Amino acid sequence: MRLRGLRVSGQLACRILIHEKGRSGLALAGVFIAIVLVFIELGFFVAVPQGGMLVYDHMRFDLLLASKDYAFQAQPWQFPRARLATAAAVSGVTQVTPLYFAGGSWRDPSGGLRLDIFLIGIDTKAQPFAVADIERQQDMLAEPNTILVDDDTRAVFGPLVAGRVVDLDGHRVTIGGSYHLGTGFLGIGVALMDEANFTRVTGRGTDPANLGLIELAPGANMDDVAAALHRALPDDVQIFTRGALKAHEDAYWTTRTSVGLIFGSGLVVSFIVGLMVLYQTLATQIARHLPEFATLKAIGYADAHLVAVVMVEAAIVVTIAFIPATAVAMMAYAVIRSQTLLPVVLTASHVGGVLSATLVMSALSAFLSVSSLRRADPADVF
Amino acid sequence: MPGGAVPLAWRNLVADKWRLLRSSAGIAFAVLLMLVQLGFERAFFDASLTQVRQLDGDLFVMNASKYCFGTRDPFAYRELDAIRRVSGIASTAPLYADWQKFFWTSPVDDKPHLVRVFAFDPAAPPVFLLPAIADQQALLETDNAVLVDSRSRRFLGMENPPAETKLNDQTVHVVGSFALGPDFMSDGSVVMSDRLFTKLLPGNRAPVGALPIEAAVIRLRGGEDVSAAQQRLRAALPPALTIMTKPELVEFEREFQAKLSSAAPIFWLGTLVGFAVGTLISYQIIYSDLSDRLPQYATLKGIGYRSSYLIRSVLSQAALTGLAGYIPAWLLGLAVYRVIGDIALLPLRMSLQLTAISLALTLGMSLLAGILAVRRVIAADPAEIF
Repeated sequence: MRLRGLRVSGQLACRILIHEKGRSGLALAGVFIAIVLVFIELGFFVAVPQGGMLVYDHMRFDLLLASKDYAFQAQPWQFPRARLATAAAVSGVTQVTPLYFAGGSWRDPSGGLRLDIFLIGIDTKAQPFAVADIERQQDMLAEPNTILVDDDTRAVFGPLVAGRVVDLDGHRVTIGGSYHLGTGFLGIGVALMDEANFTRVTGRGTDPANLGLIELAPGANMDDVAAALHRALPDDVQIFTRGALKAHEDAYWTTRTSVGLIFGSGLVVSFIVGLMVLYQTLATQIARHLPEFATLKAIGYADAHLVAVVMVEAAIVVTIAFIPATAVAMMAYAVIRSQTLLPVVLTASHVGGVLSATLVMSALSAFLSVSSLRRADPADVF
Repeated sequence: MPGGAVPLAWRNLVADKWRLLRSSAGIAFAVLLMLVQLGFERAFFDASLTQVRQLDGDLFVMNASKYCFGTRDPFAYRELDAIRRVSGIASTAPLYADWQKFFWTSPVDDKPHLVRVFAFDPAAPPVFLLPAIADQQALLETDNAVLVDSRSRRFLGMENPPAETKLNDQTVHVVGSFALGPDFMSDGSVVMSDRLFTKLLPGNRAPVGALPIEAAVIRLRGGEDVSAAQQRLRAALPPALTIMTKPELVEFEREFQAKLSSAAPIFWLGTLVGFAVGTLISYQIIYSDLSDRLPQYATLKGIGYRSSYLIRSVLSQAALTGLAGYIPAWLLGLAVYRVIGDIALLPLRMSLQLTAISLALTLGMSLLAGILAVRRVIAADPAEIF
């Protein structure tokens, strides 16, 4: 009986939608744009932490060794290089590679602006970056006074062409080539060097190091090795698993910098707007069909049936609008990526999240809009 | 001629109070979305301009190779002599600053955090407009004294600052605070004397008087022409130095932000989406209203009202509906700005410009929706409707 009732409700909902194609189209368009809106705001909300993780996501490591004062990637502090050897001696660890960071000053030899650039020094042999362009140009890095430049480095730095000579902290260096990774939140430009060039340009030694990339033997238990490292190392350093690192960087960007609040409020408002659009749409539909609904009530349909009709109607509209909205969101993300250098990517969890949020919105708005339905009195309507 | 005296648009608008409430709520949230996005866009800019806006000078001398104010690129102290020899200048105060090398040990987590530092001679005329800095700068004469920004990000613990903490591993005494606010490069600020700056700047051995300066803050004598003085300074100084008026300095910073920051396109996109949503909501509202009143419109046509009158009426009603949404949204916007501005430490403020832009967008979306929907009225045939 209940099942049959639901099917009847479904059929009725479909009939209403098909009967007035113009209005249904309008409702679809409204819901469509509300979903696009939620997608875009969500994209920004998650893009910032994603930007913070971008460079880590393209590095080879299982565990990260960092100073106890580690703030976020661009402010990692430093620790004695000897910690790397201690970590390497722990069983289950196959390789520990130091990573060096510094702020550099970039200037064209002919003069012009003195630009801040983020410098990364690596042990080339250890291949810390899983980036095809970097691996391909690895031999270039070994050349004296040669750098690779991230191709997201802003246009004010001038052409990032191989062979161009620039001043880096007062040293003449040659651009060996560029690579495609992204600057994340490291700065407006990033240059990569091998250890020898890095120490020459920055004038600092290889001790202390800024970060240590730890790789484990195949089959080694991550948590066990992390615990063993924790016991073996003094408390001036800490060990991050990839998961803990992501949580740390996410928390830094969303809570400390208030970016989370800014894009979070955009997300909340977009959700409310979406709700209003849906509610507006459904309430109008109901108002239009009030005589019909009242008639149904008069001939014996229960309130629950009519509510089910509205709920099904809402669900159908949302489901149909969701497909083109997802397609448009993907296009919008592509535009945002090219315009803002933010790594906005549409993941399955975003799609799932927005879909469930929209279904919640549609249920909420259906709930809000059926109150007039409950009040509908067959005797009053005509 | 049947009269424009009947305020049809108004009557239609207020005929059904519930419907009015519902439609204005829908529009209000779309407007609020635009207001929030526009407000953030402005606030992002304003936050990054705060440090230069708060500088108290008529002219500023800096290295021409600086790409933005917030990067260390100082010039030689001796250039001050050349500046001081230029006529018409009342005072020249050197400003020292650093954005990358000072680490404040926060009482919150006992960890060092990067802060922005400004330093000057406490005996010289103020270089900042903030009264809290100008009034308290004499306190900086004592050893290891600093002023801190009470509007710094909370993890720095400067809101209720400790009496003493460490800055670059040296103990400093907090003798007062001021309210400047963070931007997107710096989480907080510390102000100190030039003497302390030379002591705390890592790797520095130069005493005051030999340490390169970030900017010379120049005040002109009363009645001096700013651009004439700027010309005289240009003639007296090497081309490696740039001389900017206050508006030029603000503009220089604004241009840098516009060129290199991703904030503007993000919020403009948000505004655009708000506009699209608002147009759609308005269209739905007007379309339903027109559909319901189609017989009445047809009747009006039948008794001789022209289409132009009906169009005018529909468009006025659209504009009024937009306004009905705009007013509560604007008020709600004030509250939202206040709350988010305080929590996020952003200079979110309702301005005349924001009000005008958002009102124009609201009327734009309502009228656009009205124009799209009015075709139904034009097409309404009195003979067919009944």
